[in-house]
Amino acid sequence: MSDATVATKRQGPSWLILPGIVWMALFMVIPIAMICYVSFWTQTTFNISSTPTLASWKQFFASDTYTGALWTTVRIWLIVLATTFIIGYPTALFVGLFVKSKTLSTVLLVICVIPFWTSFLIRVLAWRPMLGKEGAINIILLKLHIISQPIEVLLFTELSVIIGMSQIYCVFMVGPIAFMLGRIDRNIIEAARDLGAGFGRIFWKIIFPLSLPGVVVGAIFVSVMVLGEFATSGALSGRKVNLLGNIIVTQVGSLKWAMASVTGVILTVVMGMVIAAFLRIVDLKQEL
Amino acid sequence: MESRVLKPILALYVAAFILFLYGPFIVLGILSFQQGPDGGPQFPITEWSTYWYQQIFGLTPPSRIAPLPVGEALIRSLILAFMTMVTSTVLGVMSAQAFRRKFRGSSFVFYLIVLGMMVPGVLTGLGTSLLANNVFGITRHWYTTAFATHVAYTFPFAFLVMLAILNRFDGSVEEAAWSLGVSPWKTFRKVTFPLIFPGVLSAMLFAFTLSLDEFPRSLFAAGGTEDQTLPLAIYGTFAVEIHPNIFAFGVLTTLFSFALLSVYGILMGMSVRRARKLAMQEDIA
Repeated sequence: MSDATVATKRQGPSWLILPGIVWMALFMVIPIAMICYVSFWTQTTFNISSTPTLASWKQFFASDTYTGALWTTVRIWLIVLATTFIIGYPTALFVGLFVKSKTLSTVLLVICVIPFWTSFLIRVLAWRPMLGKEGAINIILLKLHIISQPIEVLLFTELSVIIGMSQIYCVFMVGPIAFMLGRIDRNIIEAARDLGAGFGRIFWKIIFPLSLPGVVVGAIFVSVMVLGEFATSGALSGRKVNLLGNIIVTQVGSLKWAMASVTGVILTVVMGMVIAAFLRIVDLKQEL
Repeated sequence: MESRVLKPILALYVAAFILFLYGPFIVLGILSFQQGPDGGPQFPITEWSTYWYQQIFGLTPPSRIAPLPVGEALIRSLILAFMTMVTSTVLGVMSAQAFRRKFRGSSFVFYLIVLGMMVPGVLTGLGTSLLANNVFGITRHWYTTAFATHVAYTFPFAFLVMLAILNRFDGSVEEAAWSLGVSPWKTFRKVTFPLIFPGVLSAMLFAFTLSLDEFPRSLFAAGGTEDQTLPLAIYGTFAVEIHPNIFAFGVLTTLFSFALLSVYGILMGMSVRRARKLAMQEDIA
């Protein structure tokens, strides 16, 4: 057998990729193109027709509810990105770099993953008896005499949405960062230490730059999920916090397909900018 | 050295982190034993009981609180997760296999597939339901439109897992089979597949659990109430008022997930042991 045929066989025939491409085109690309298209359709109270119009777009940018939802989404996204990073990085540092035993770091990672085996919606709901006026946090703080009045801003506010999202998504930061930290060659750190560098210098010059791809991957995960959120904000804010996702859900609920699509396009654009920005920092395919 | 100071501080931080991660579950677990049917989903516990667990299994007399509509929804979700698992694993193995050779536009295709796990469920769900509703005029069902969106979501995960496995795969064993005149399909079945099987198991596990818990895609792409999957049924209950039965159900599903994870662990252990045994036999021979 010639070398060429062996090579062809080894790498597998390329038609194998076709079903995957077709599936993604049919059920991801075309649906998103469809959202863009429908955003220019004419919406009447009970119906929608494909006559092109900019009416829904104008309506979106003229209304404080809709533009407000856009800013709330961006604000909550940035805050949750920051909180998950602050919560996640030191944890990842411990798991990925400071724990010497392989078993312990695996155990810690498994502990982080276990909550994902509970339904997402139930994880969200579990925050209600935690944060409420008669919730666990208030009871504990009252018992410890740290506060004399129950804190009421904990539930059904933007704060509760942020707390809930931070808890649900922080593990997506920990995982990739711990993975990158675990790959750092310990000899580099030893060498730096032998040359007299303090921990701060080692951290900023070696550890942090080498963990950056993990941070970016984690940030992409968190961003994608937070930007598309609507369940957490709905359940923990008592419908007071409206994200773009919430707008889409309510608009579809009242059969306002055109408005839902406009919101969808805006969400897509925001998402695209965020992902593109992150991918400029790190080439995802290289890191695999 | 700094690790003497820093390490304990970080250890404490991680302990706090775990508490933060598990706090809600502890509270959820405690409240699931609330007295029923009058006890609410908050403290204090009026009386410890297993009422809400019994209610899920239909063992309690009817009361003003309707039991969770989970029975059929659970079965639908399991079937959907199974369908999704099989489809996306097959697609994932095929695509990753194709990626072993550089082809034109491979980088574009890579991002096309990976995008599936990045695009929020709200968007694919909305787009698919727009297509179904306004273009084709077909009814949405969990086993058609929702299934399609689920696969578009889980297939990228299966693909990445298989890509990582095949990247580290030693192709010389396949070459050996081909030079002995074994057909490519038979080589794949007898040589390649057993070797990548641990990866296939991980891909399956990913796809199954992601689909089982998938909510935004189903919300748009599955049909009406007679068509609900489990997450939709749960979502439906907290639109109105929550009762401790949802907490009890959360505890039960967590236990179920553990069972599933254990099965995965056992299968994984078995396949690793078998590989080791084969390697040993080779050494002897």
